[in-house]
Amino acid sequence: MIDFGFGVNTARAINMDTNDLDTAREIFDRLPDLQACMACGSCTATCTAGAITSFNFRKVHTLVRRGEYGEAYAEMSKCMLCGKCRLVCPRGINTRGVVLLIKKKLGDY
Amino acid sequence: MNFNSSFALPFSVGVMVLFVVITYKYVRWLYRLPDGDKRQIGRNLFSRQTWKAVWECVTESLLHRRIFRVNPVLGYMHMSLAFGWFLLIATGFVETVAYMGWTPVPLRGHVFFKYYSREAVHTEMWQMVFTNVMDALLLFVLSGVALAWTKRVYSKMLGMRRTTRHVWGDRVALTALWCIFPARLLAESTTSAIWHNGGFLTGWVGSLLADAMSPETLVAMESVVWWVYSFALGIFFCAMPFSRYMHIFTEVPLIFLRRWGIKSDDRPKSFDHFQLEACSRCGICIDPCQLQRDAGINTVQGVYFLRDRRYNMLSAEVADNCLMCGRCSERCPVGVDINSLRLNSRYTFHNSPSFRRYDYLRGVDTSQGEGKVGYFAGCMTLLSPRILQAMERIFEAADEQVWWADRNGGVCCGRPLKLTGEVDAAREMMRHNTQLFQKYEITTLVTSCPICLKVFREDYNLQDIEVLHHSEYIQRLLAEGRLKVTPTAEAYTYHDPCELGRGCGIYDEPRAVVKSVATLLEPSETRNMALCCGSSIANTAIPDGAQLKIARSLGQSLEATGADGVVTACPLCKKAVRRGTTLPVYDLAEIVADNLTTRH
Repeated sequence: MIDFGFGVNTARAINMDTNDLDTAREIFDRLPDLQACMACGSCTATCTAGAITSFNFRKVHTLVRRGEYGEAYAEMSKCMLCGKCRLVCPRGINTRGVVLLIKKKLGDY
Repeated sequence: MNFNSSFALPFSVGVMVLFVVITYKYVRWLYRLPDGDKRQIGRNLFSRQTWKAVWECVTESLLHRRIFRVNPVLGYMHMSLAFGWFLLIATGFVETVAYMGWTPVPLRGHVFFKYYSREAVHTEMWQMVFTNVMDALLLFVLSGVALAWTKRVYSKMLGMRRTTRHVWGDRVALTALWCIFPARLLAESTTSAIWHNGGFLTGWVGSLLADAMSPETLVAMESVVWWVYSFALGIFFCAMPFSRYMHIFTEVPLIFLRRWGIKSDDRPKSFDHFQLEACSRCGICIDPCQLQRDAGINTVQGVYFLRDRRYNMLSAEVADNCLMCGRCSERCPVGVDINSLRLNSRYTFHNSPSFRRYDYLRGVDTSQGEGKVGYFAGCMTLLSPRILQAMERIFEAADEQVWWADRNGGVCCGRPLKLTGEVDAAREMMRHNTQLFQKYEITTLVTSCPICLKVFREDYNLQDIEVLHHSEYIQRLLAEGRLKVTPTAEAYTYHDPCELGRGCGIYDEPRAVVKSVATLLEPSETRNMALCCGSSIANTAIPDGAQLKIARSLGQSLEATGADGVVTACPLCKKAVRRGTTLPVYDLAEIVADNLTTRH
């Protein structure tokens, strides 16, 4: 098989009724513009950290929004906060604010 | 002379409280200074800096020269209160000595001398001179009080669009201060009405009182008005160390410590107390703040940030919501380093031990080339390929062998993390990039991003590497004749990036480069008061809309110059300004690369 550098995600079932969405709601309350995200992935495409590691901002914040917090703090900590994602975001989302907020809500500092 | 009178009690209590609290605070803060700072003080104690500090105390703490530069009437108001009151105290002291010789006189004796000396003979020429000089000084201070009242009602008259919203403690102290001098006038005038010992002012008011009231009423009133005066002083002195008026004394040690080379750091330290409590909450920092004037945010300005931090009620929201453009500090009459304090507040809120967060940086090296001149594009330049291509053309035209640190994507310089308070994490990035620079043994490091430039100069330890912004580098190439450009007929205006201008003090080099290509037009607010583009990396709080409002306001001021285009020297500014104006926006490197004289 030729490695094109991307793969296909395996099918997953997410039960939004059983996931704890409190933290996700708090994040939306504080940064409502995150709801404008259309998951285009521009943030991830330009990401400085993403070019070096598997860090994927779109994936992490999408998981957090769905209440799947596992590993999200550790993943989000890889961000260098350089701010390229904020400049390319077509919806003008304050992405750096999102990073800090997710770390604050999920980490214990 | 008999200095026993009960009305002096509130005054004496106030002075005691003031003395005890201030001594406690200063001794505690000085004792807690880090050892490095203490050694620094020891080294500079007997140097020219001490004399410079004395002079600065006279020009700033007393004369308020920096406020005169903001607005002459505002300057006069502050000077008349500070310098006028100082002269009242000093002249009052000399007057007492002239009357009494060098006999010990209690403090209240100096302050209430008009009352205690009422039975003395006042016929000699020198006594009349003293009386009238003291009246003149009182009038001087009263004129300042009158202006202060006016400022509360109509601040525009004193050149301020907005003044500070005060907390109640400040209002108590403010009211007491406003009462002190009218109360003094009334007290001295009443005494003068009975004893005829007043000068041109108190004597005149006294004669009016004597006309209006019977002698018995005057005698009954005398002790009351002196009690009122003493109470006003007592309340003010008690409130002083806990209110904004702590600045009156704290500005003096701050000036000395600053002259001796003590600075606030990216972590909180004891010196910060001197800066926090030297803020007079005059509110001069409010008007320059673009968050206030363009985005309508009214709770985060320097004055409110310093106040909240001083009273331990600072929230992360206030600490984070700042562009750190530095326009407030440029205007601050006390010279408080607001940005450093905000930075170390953010450290308190956000710094998390880095653990192994950035282990993935190990071994990352995407650099190219062999040259001894390194070029660090920085994240923002990588998002602006035109700047990168322009730099490539410039390097080629100048025949420079270049080592490209991050043309294919690299590691962030660390300043964005530092600006959010994650100082420990930022160190990881700094360490990584430093190792990279050392590995390739570069001698010069050129960057086209002022954000990177500032962190390279301030936080990196690059001993043998000269760090240059591309504006400095291009200007040098032009001066040495290694680069030749053909001037055009265009007229450009130049936008000073905050991190480059106020941050690194680079104003002239980019202007020289623009002038070599085109005519340069200056916007109304320029150089150290240049506007911020609004997209500052230091602000993680404001939404896109607020950034856009600030950019549009900047765009208007740039368009008002009538220029054909805007030139800036920061990739982030370039992107931000472009959203706020219809004019074309170029980076410095672009206008040079586009107008290179082709060699034959």
